Amino acid sequence: MDLRLSEQQQAILASLDGICRPFEGSAVSAPVFAAVSADMESELLRSGFLDVLAIPELGSVTAALVIERLARLPLSVEVAASVMFRPFLGNEPPYPVCLADANHPHRPVRFAQEGALLVRIGETVTVERIAPGNSGSERGGLYAYPIGTVPTASAPAPLALSTNEALARWRAGLAAEAAGIAAGALAVTCRHVSDRTQFGKPIGTFQAIRHRLAEAEVRVRGMYWLAMKAAASLDPADTALAALWAQECATRIVYDFHQFLGAMGMTLEHPLHFYTYRLKLLIGDLGGRGASGTAAAACLWPQREPTNQAIAGCA
Amino acid sequence: MDFDWTQEQASFRSRVSSTIEGSLPPDWEELAEEGPASSRMTEFARSFCGRLAAEGLLTPHWDEAHGGSGLDAWHQIILAEEMWRVGEPRGGQYMNVNWIGPTLLKFGTDEQRDRYLPPITRGEALWCQGFSEPGAGSDLASLRTAARRDGADYVVNGQKIWTSYAGLADTCFLLCRTATGASHGITILLVPMDTPGITVRQIPSLIGEGDIHEVFFDDVRVPQTARLGEEGAAWDIIRFSLINERLGIPRYALARDALDRSVALLGQRGGFSDAVMLYQASLAAAQCEAARLASYAIVSDRIAGLPAGADSSSARFATIMAERSVAEFIVEHCADVLVAGSPFFKMHHQRAIVAGLAAGAAEIQLNIIASQVLELPREAR
Repeated sequence: MDLRLSEQQQAILASLDGICRPFEGSAVSAPVFAAVSADMESELLRSGFLDVLAIPELGSVTAALVIERLARLPLSVEVAASVMFRPFLGNEPPYPVCLADANHPHRPVRFAQEGALLVRIGETVTVERIAPGNSGSERGGLYAYPIGTVPTASAPAPLALSTNEALARWRAGLAAEAAGIAAGALAVTCRHVSDRTQFGKPIGTFQAIRHRLAEAEVRVRGMYWLAMKAAASLDPADTALAALWAQECATRIVYDFHQFLGAMGMTLEHPLHFYTYRLKLLIGDLGGRGASGTAAAACLWPQREPTNQAIAGCA
Repeated sequence: MDFDWTQEQASFRSRVSSTIEGSLPPDWEELAEEGPASSRMTEFARSFCGRLAAEGLLTPHWDEAHGGSGLDAWHQIILAEEMWRVGEPRGGQYMNVNWIGPTLLKFGTDEQRDRYLPPITRGEALWCQGFSEPGAGSDLASLRTAARRDGADYVVNGQKIWTSYAGLADTCFLLCRTATGASHGITILLVPMDTPGITVRQIPSLIGEGDIHEVFFDDVRVPQTARLGEEGAAWDIIRFSLINERLGIPRYALARDALDRSVALLGQRGGFSDAVMLYQASLAAAQCEAARLASYAIVSDRIAGLPAGADSSSARFATIMAERSVAEFIVEHCADVLVAGSPFFKMHHQRAIVAGLAAGAAEIQLNIIASQVLELPREAR
């Protein structure tokens, strides 16, 4: 047991910091709902960070660290699915990779677009290339991700990955992504309440705000650690618990953070919405908190038959 | 980042666990339900801690020169988890090994160490913590119990309240005022509880017999050699002590066990099936595990020699959330266990009420996190 970063992990995060720096504030300049950056996507593909799992000595915790760090950006960049699934998608797979839940075929799929690779997880795990016209793509929706819906499969091929393994990877990636987004949101909120003055004082001096932000810090820290442990083990119970805690905490912090920003949080000028609107979509992934909690319970206390073993991920 | 225990750590845990199992009496759960400070518990803790001492499991994380085995902080937390998992059979002696001993080691004189450490390492000593006063709880720096110099002595007058273990303790780790001014005027005295002028009155409590007390000091004469550290140095010393105490109370281990046992009970009754119940149980488990990992992160830093900071407040608050979540789950879904069930559940429930208060109120932890972790501007006063 040692929860410190290894030297290699520190070096990787330092290098990622360098890649992220030019993009830290880039989303703010444009009044949009979803901030994407082709430059950032090319940089990620060029730098090889999406293939971190292909280097066995780095391990899956390092993969989660990469996901978490990039999610702290105000940009919506597809990282989690690529990092977690690329090793199973053949040589130089296309980008982005999208994840769809076969049990919820109408749910919005992040980054779904023509040409993207779609991993569909249900009773089996399949992969398909999103064909022209098969994605109801909407870039201007109310989530800060480019999204589409891909209700029907188009020439799916089986993937050499069990449903349980695929669910564990999805949940670990989701938890790491949510942890990074939440950390980014907390940071911009703390900056605002430190700068914004009312009644002659920064509003961050008022205990009504301080205590709720401090509680958010405890939650976000828990999200981070549960995500890292989930990535380390890729165990069904660990990954379901991490996803549950991420989704639960997201519901608790999103509206608080907007509240503390007051009217500023309603503008497209401030980057907060790039974080909170991504979190909102993650709350419902894989059936949401209820399904994540049920899945975790089925794994932790296996006395009970789960109602749907496939989606519980603990068959 | 590595989440696996080494083989040595795992075998240390099973050694601790089997020692505990072999030492607890058949009526342990009834005993634990009486409360950590009851006279029967205190008596049992003396024999239990004596056995731990004989097995080298009472102070293994202390250095070898002072009765320890020089093991690291992982062993300390493994030991504490196994103790808490069954309801902390060390009773009030957990304080000795977690922070009173280490504080004496760091700040005590040779004479103080020679006097107080051997009974701790033998598992015989019981201390109480003379901190809170009627007008000074969370605002500890406003305490008024006064120690006035008189020749080679101090003469102490004042009152402490909500003092755990005071009824049976041998010695009090007493905070008192030697000068005006907030925290700078506070000094620590190590005061034998049989010193003339000390009166202890028990306060009936939710946690069991003998848990909290009023302690009155009327012209209590204490030699200056009983002072720990310099006059006015108390604040820095207790900051060190509290960081150790916060790490040494892994309530999440007891909470997680209570959760697992309540789910097992519900399962036996065929009642662990409602989706909301499953969700709530998992949520409580997630909180236990989040608290556990936050504590492990602090241990990792300590082993790396990094200074202890506000992270311990964050881990402590996570533990409070976990403890409450489990207690709520049990009350909501198997309330009968608090009436006629195993005493274990009653013991857990009684102790859960303390989670947000002991070792500094939850709100004080949030203040520390806001200032020192989030670096928000200082509070309006």
